[in-house]
Amino acid sequence: MTRALLSLCAILTIGLLSSTIPRNGPSPAVGSLPQSPAAEDPDLRQLQVQYRALSKQLAQLMPQQPYIVVDTARNRLYIKRKGAIVLDALASTGSGTILDKPGDAGGQWIFDTPRGQFAVQSKLTKPVWVKPDWAFIEEGLTVPKNPAERVEQGVLGEYALGFGKGYFIHGTLYTRLLGKNVTHGCIRLNDGDLKTVYQMAHVGTPILIF
Amino acid sequence: MSRCAFALLLLSFAATSSIAAEQEAFPDLRPDDRAGLTEAARVLQEEIKLAGRPQTYLLVDLVSGTIHIKGRGIDLHRIPIEHWWLSTHDGTAATFRLVHRPPVARRKIQPTGNAEQEPVSLTDMPTTYTLPCTPSLFLEVVPPAREHLWLWTLSSGRLWWGQLTAWGTQWIAGQAPPPHLRLILSADHAQSLAWSMVDGMPFILRRPAS
Repeated sequence: MTRALLSLCAILTIGLLSSTIPRNGPSPAVGSLPQSPAAEDPDLRQLQVQYRALSKQLAQLMPQQPYIVVDTARNRLYIKRKGAIVLDALASTGSGTILDKPGDAGGQWIFDTPRGQFAVQSKLTKPVWVKPDWAFIEEGLTVPKNPAERVEQGVLGEYALGFGKGYFIHGTLYTRLLGKNVTHGCIRLNDGDLKTVYQMAHVGTPILIF
Repeated sequence: MSRCAFALLLLSFAATSSIAAEQEAFPDLRPDDRAGLTEAARVLQEEIKLAGRPQTYLLVDLVSGTIHIKGRGIDLHRIPIEHWWLSTHDGTAATFRLVHRPPVARRKIQPTGNAEQEPVSLTDMPTTYTLPCTPSLFLEVVPPAREHLWLWTLSSGRLWWGQLTAWGTQWIAGQAPPPHLRLILSADHAQSLAWSMVDGMPFILRRPAS
């Protein structure tokens, strides 16, 4: 058994080494550079070295820890680690609709989920929703003057992860709408996926939204 | 002994997987392609600057025929290019920015209305659009002739006329027209690209040698 394992190790190591040994195949990648043309041409060699150094520099900018990717077109949230998918969750993202701001000529709210690169800024348990002005206006209600009248409990699920400017990844009562663009910009998940995201993400975890 | 062998086996697997994870920025690049290496290095230098900023960006890879939506150097989404045409290589070795994203007909919420407003979806996105960029470049997206013969013909006619007048202007005034990049994408992919674009979004071109 031991010999067999050692043999397997040896085979893997040889395989590994052979994969990095330069070959003179018809179309080798730059990672497995053939020695002869570059050795004869220092300029070419320098270009290859520069290319590899830049590739490495770019790779170093990629997150080494798990990160969150949100596809707003297909309403999916992924947690990835080094490119591999750790979680694939159905989500709801921004509806893209607009609402006029009363008393502000030309002013509008646009209910898009923001695209770009963000980071988890806060992690909350048992979050409460402090309803913004638009939540009242779109229902044709008067915006309350008393802040306490804005607070609504139990609508955001067990957890919420803030990523800036009032946007959160949170739960929902309307799980039948997951997979659709229905939110005011936040990202909704079901309870199970939200718990996984809460457990895996930390303050500073990158969120990439497109 | 068997534990030692098992540890060695694990180490071998780890080494194999870590080397496999070390990716080339452009796997299609030949090591003896001097022009390709120079272009790849230029693109990587531009991309490293973009990947360090909190935004998503596009890499329009004309060599592999793929549009990459990226953030922090990570491939978030890929869109295949069916065909492309670039009027000139001059002035295209830069980081461009979209002046604005493609137009989208957003629906307005009526606060007094009872019915919920339909959200914006991928199908609301245009399949044909021309976007001005800075520095000066026109990015045109059109569907293939097999999908929308009328749109393709109209766009081709406009392009032909535009080039004719540009050549005329250049001949008379000695002023070179701005570069024009025409991407032929299937309707679905054109809509997907339009969805992910944002105002001011940066993008870089990887151009073939000839």
